[in-house]
Amino acid sequence: MAENISSAQQRSWMNELGLSEQEIAQRKAFLNFSDDDAQRLQALHSLAQRYAEGVIDDFYQHLLSFEESRRFFTDPAVLNRVKAAQKQYFLQLTQGQYDTGYVEDRLRIGIAHERINLPFELYLGAYNFYLRAVLQRVVEEYKNTPEQVTTTFTSLLKLVFLDMSLAIETYLSQRERVIREQHEAIREISTPVLPLRERLLLMPIIGAMDPPRAQQLTTQLLHGIRAHRAKAVVMDITGVLTVDSAVANHLIQAVQSARLMGTTVIVSGLSPEVAHALVRIGIDLTMVTTVGTLQDGIEAAEQLLGYTVTKNGTCHTPSPEKGAS
Amino acid sequence: MRVPIFKQGQYLIASIQDDLTDSDLSLLRDDLGVGVGQQRIRGVIIDVTVLDVMDSFAARTLRDLARILKLRGAETVIVGIQPEVAYSMVRLGLSLDGVETALDLEEGLALLDYQTKPGGRRGR
Amino acid sequence: MADDTRVAIRSDTDIVIARQKGRALAAHLGFSSTDQTLIATAISEVARNILRYAKTGEIRFQTETNGKAAMTIVAHDEGPGIPDVAVALQNGYSTSGSLGMGLPGSKRIMDEFMIVSEVGKGTTVTMKKRRN
Repeated sequence: MAENISSAQQRSWMNELGLSEQEIAQRKAFLNFSDDDAQRLQALHSLAQRYAEGVIDDFYQHLLSFEESRRFFTDPAVLNRVKAAQKQYFLQLTQGQYDTGYVEDRLRIGIAHERINLPFELYLGAYNFYLRAVLQRVVEEYKNTPEQVTTTFTSLLKLVFLDMSLAIETYLSQRERVIREQHEAIREISTPVLPLRERLLLMPIIGAMDPPRAQQLTTQLLHGIRAHRAKAVVMDITGVLTVDSAVANHLIQAVQSARLMGTTVIVSGLSPEVAHALVRIGIDLTMVTTVGTLQDGIEAAEQLLGYTVTKNGTCHTPSPEKGAS
Repeated sequence: MRVPIFKQGQYLIASIQDDLTDSDLSLLRDDLGVGVGQQRIRGVIIDVTVLDVMDSFAARTLRDLARILKLRGAETVIVGIQPEVAYSMVRLGLSLDGVETALDLEEGLALLDYQTKPGGRRGR
Repeated sequence: MADDTRVAIRSDTDIVIARQKGRALAAHLGFSSTDQTLIATAISEVARNILRYAKTGEIRFQTETNGKAAMTIVAHDEGPGIPDVAVALQNGYSTSGSLGMGLPGSKRIMDEFMIVSEVGKGTTVTMKKRRN
């Protein structure tokens, strides 16, 4: 039986970003990037090693001439580190191997830049600079065989476009991750599970209920039941905008799931008109205890749990003179 | 793997320890049937806290079991169905109709007391 | 990455193995805990069908990580086949005690669901779920 995933793969950026080897191969095919291109680039490697230092120095001189990029490199130690990394990056373009190792490396660097909030245009700007710097030197190198300039430069263009697509991928994925996390947070905040009394929970639902939210809501309900050992839950749907058959079915599923955990759910806030409408279209609400108002719901739940609520006298409002803090 | 069954007063408690195969489940059903028949058992608790999947076979076997035990004078309570399992069962359309469920062992025992002891439901 | 993992179904222990493997794979793809359970339950159902009706077969897992992660489960056997797939998809869980096929339920919880079956040749159920 094939063992699933090695630990190295589990940390892979390709996995994180949902990029398969197939996908990378497709991108290369789309760019017409073949082994010939790889070879042409590798042929440039010794040339690249000769002028890498110069190109990188020029690039950072250019970058630091702009105020908005200067603030990222105020520390000289940081600048040196980054320059060294960039030199490596630059040399990688011509080392001739453009497999998953190469892709992983590019993704990792992209993520690192995104994390320090480096503006995207600066990151892409580097590529443009490299292309211009390299073109100059390739023209110089192949001055006796000018057709090689075109073919070599074309190979470089293809690779740079592949690199840029990976860079875009990393920036996008991070944005998407933040959006997902925010969505999750919003969903959780908008469906709180409140302990009202011992063994009794209140779950006020507000807003629209689509299938993903319904699932999330039910999961939250069931986890709340387990955490608080609830015997009864009042699920108030007064704030649910549209109660149609889909919403009704979600509610029924929530109630049925809770029952499997031994808990009774009382649905409050379902108006008689809506209830009748649902029954008319064939939704079976007989298994669901429904009451009109939230107050009715809480009372019903308390009765179920054996509470008796009594009123002993009139309501006292605290008088200002007594025990003023 | 045999599911361990404990006796507590007039109740039997079957505590599932591991993921069950179909034959394990059938064996449990048979063991409980025998256990209830041999001793004066009024209630049976099956603790499924550990199970991370309850499919149609499990649901059907538990329903059958509850019916069989009822014929022999014992009430059955399934305890410990986990949130994701409960939700999956409902999404799949599985039903445990006719079988009582409770949150955990404590609740299950309380329910059995209510159902079987004088002063509880039977006592009325 | 393992794009294609298989589990042979020959005994009821294999049903458990198949659903545990399915769950692990779903977890690795980033499916929520709830979705992992839904997937494991659907696997259990189709694996059992293989065992009950065809005696042997296999469950194959395929994963996709382009953009939205997804998991495909292919349950294949060379058993007697299903004479009327439409009926099998209609009959839910039978309360009378006879074995329902558990297919309608699995169909409900997966995003894509397809059965190809030929009497005397075998059955292939293909189901897919996408991560949210």
